[in-house]
Amino acid sequence: MSPNWEELEQTVGDDGAQSMVRPYTITRGRTAPERDDLTLITVLTLVSGAAEQPGRRLQPEHRVILARCARQPAAVAELAADLDLPVSVTKILLGDLIALGLLAARAPIAVARAGGGVDLGLLNAVREGLRRL
Amino acid sequence: MTDSQAAPAAVKILIAGGFGVGKTTLVGSVSEVTPLRTEEYLTRASVGVDSLDGVDTKDTTTVALDFGRITIGPELVVYLFGTPGQERFWFMWNDLVNGALGGVVIADTRRLESSFASIDFFESRRIPFVVAINCFDGVNTRTAAEIRVALDLDPQVPLLVGDVRTRAFGRDVLLALVEHLINQPALV
Repeated sequence: MSPNWEELEQTVGDDGAQSMVRPYTITRGRTAPERDDLTLITVLTLVSGAAEQPGRRLQPEHRVILARCARQPAAVAELAADLDLPVSVTKILLGDLIALGLLAARAPIAVARAGGGVDLGLLNAVREGLRRL
Repeated sequence: MTDSQAAPAAVKILIAGGFGVGKTTLVGSVSEVTPLRTEEYLTRASVGVDSLDGVDTKDTTTVALDFGRITIGPELVVYLFGTPGQERFWFMWNDLVNGALGGVVIADTRRLESSFASIDFFESRRIPFVVAINCFDGVNTRTAAEIRVALDLDPQVPLLVGDVRTRAFGRDVLLALVEHLINQPALV
């Protein structure tokens, strides 16, 4: 347990100015992702058999992401936390890797069904899982 | 490169409440990993924060949230997001609130008012939620009925009292939310 987390929560906003420049340098100046379908809990997986094209220069952060996804599929929020980069910057880097065919994205489950009502199968599965905690 | 693993699908639950009320503590009590921290830049323009003329022209601010995960099975993962302490930021962070299964509002009986904004937020966004009254060390000076009145809660909103540091209470709060969704499917 980390009682100081909530205090840290308050101070982060004040530190924002310091880190404004560097993250977007990593993205070569891009401030918006080319794809808007990535969410905090979109899960990224390494594409089977995908290999980096020779001559294609990836940033070190790209390689960290690939190494992390090679170990285990990871959500956007987890990758951002691992990289210690803002979510929006992480999404730009992930977009690069998806465009290169190195990563595949799985969208979150829709809670509401298209035809109305909720997905009871999903809710029952979550309930069973929580009971095992 | 190795074969890609099957990706689990994910759902999320939002953990809200006033500053210092125990959001990250609850996340940590049920998460299989130590809560992680992530940040996002949000545009400040719509927040209504005054800045001193000519001094601060920055148009973004950084907010942080802590989150944890519960693996339900090889194909399903639940992420728990402790929302930023200041609710005015949530409205700007659509990615955080869109598609959430539901929410938990943690409240402290000694300062219930600090959780009003969280309740208003979930009600206005029509996100189903439960209320967890956190009493550290078992200190609870008010009855559940009194708390309901003070928070102006709808009668069907589940309210639980316990210690968010314990895994059992964290589990019960999340279960109450899921059962609330199952029993009242019209909410979603």
